[in-house]
Amino acid sequence: MSPSLANRLRIGFAIGFAVLTAMAVIGVGRFIQQRQEFEDAIARSYQIEMAARVRLARGNGGQEARKAVLTQGRRRSELRDQISSDTRDTALLVAAGLIAGLTGALLLFSGLIASMRRPLEELVDAAGRLAAGDRAARVKVGGLAETAALGAAFNEMADELEREASQRDQLDRLKDEFVLTASHELRSPLTSVQGFAELLMLERDSLTPKQVDTVEIILDNCRHLVRLLNTLLDLARSDAGRLTIAAQPTEVGPLIDDAVRTMRAQTEGASQHLTQRVEPGLPLVNVEADRIRQILVNLLTNAHEYSPEGASIEVNARAAGDEVEIAVADNGPGIPENQLDHIFERFTRGDAGLTQRVGGTGLGLAISKSLVELHGGTIDAASTPSVGSTFRVRLPAVGAAPGAGPYRAAAEAS
Amino acid sequence: MARILVADDSETILLLMQTRLEIAGHQVETAVDGQEVTERLDHADPHRLPDLLLLDAMMPRKSGIDALRELRALGVQTPALIVSAHQDAAGAGAPTDLDINGYVTKPIDFDRLLESIAELTRR
Repeated sequence: MSPSLANRLRIGFAIGFAVLTAMAVIGVGRFIQQRQEFEDAIARSYQIEMAARVRLARGNGGQEARKAVLTQGRRRSELRDQISSDTRDTALLVAAGLIAGLTGALLLFSGLIASMRRPLEELVDAAGRLAAGDRAARVKVGGLAETAALGAAFNEMADELEREASQRDQLDRLKDEFVLTASHELRSPLTSVQGFAELLMLERDSLTPKQVDTVEIILDNCRHLVRLLNTLLDLARSDAGRLTIAAQPTEVGPLIDDAVRTMRAQTEGASQHLTQRVEPGLPLVNVEADRIRQILVNLLTNAHEYSPEGASIEVNARAAGDEVEIAVADNGPGIPENQLDHIFERFTRGDAGLTQRVGGTGLGLAISKSLVELHGGTIDAASTPSVGSTFRVRLPAVGAAPGAGPYRAAAEAS
Repeated sequence: MARILVADDSETILLLMQTRLEIAGHQVETAVDGQEVTERLDHADPHRLPDLLLLDAMMPRKSGIDALRELRALGVQTPALIVSAHQDAAGAGAPTDLDINGYVTKPIDFDRLLESIAELTRR
């Protein structure tokens, strides 16, 4: 059992009290005793003098009695000097004792403080490290009972936190695994549904218009499901910090072509004018093509879904300093200012009136932002209600020549 | 146009691929897993090898990646596309030591797939 702070304080106070009391008793005792002796000696001296004077008065004292009267006067004056010097000595002794006692108490307390300081500093340091995410932060248990108990409690809490964190990690892993497996398992049947619907469309001439509409609905929903699956997967990865990109120098133009081609059928279905303008001689950007295509399709899908029939949607790419800026602009209803601030947060969607007919997940812009930032770029939104909205993606440009990636080259060379 | 060996453990996907590729004018053979692919090519006349392999990345018994690894080790240079349900198959998890000519993700974009096939089988 380690010594306890309270016990040490008790002992310290007891010793201090005893020392001070002893000094007081000794001091006062000595003072009284000296005083008593002094008074006795003075009284004796007067008695001798009085006796001598009596003898002189009777006329039988002679020389000896006269001498005694003189001597006793000197003797009392010596005694007075003696007592004042003794009193000073006693006072000095008591003062010295008090100072010694106080010094001892000070030394004792500073010792106690020093013995608490190291464990406390260690605790503060460990708590700081724990708060900063170092799950292995612990303190050495020891010293006074109080700091030892504090240290043990801290270590116990850190153990508990570590246990919880590892449980949470495991749950996260399970969730990621589940999302990954679910997305994987859903993709095969989805491939079949979409593929066979596309097969039907290959023979659209032999279908009635109603059948064509039906198949188009199936295909629309397939695309929506794919978007959902991809978003869920990205989100799970992003949460786990495992969203990665395989970037290589890429031309911006073909990416925009692809995204516009993907969206063309949908925008034409709503009689919306989808146009693109790519500044000639744009530098390459260091990106993963599929990811940028995904971002552009996200932005175009939003523009398409939140804009009325007949609206205009424009994709513009231009050089901006050492970046390439891709802007997707629409002349739809715009985004209210209070929503604009939160538009890149998860599950944020346009107001309900519009959202009724919009099939969004509220995750597209959140994922787009994560992806753009992974590429070292930025994304922002500007909007004027009833005039339209513009989303700008800026990606760092590279000067290098287009490098043939190890895998994509075959599928993407065109 | 091209002779293509397609391997997938789902009969539905096989039927879909076969139909789409045949409509595009290709000649299609099918296999249900990587084991069947390696066995078939092992006994094939070297002059009658397919022009292209279209292999699913995940199949029971033997995956498309494992089958391709064996074939490459045997010196088979036939261009190969790996079909994967993983969105980022070509990203983090891709084997870097294997000569794969491209990735196709599910759901399959057949227009792009047909372009890739044309590219890889052009002589």
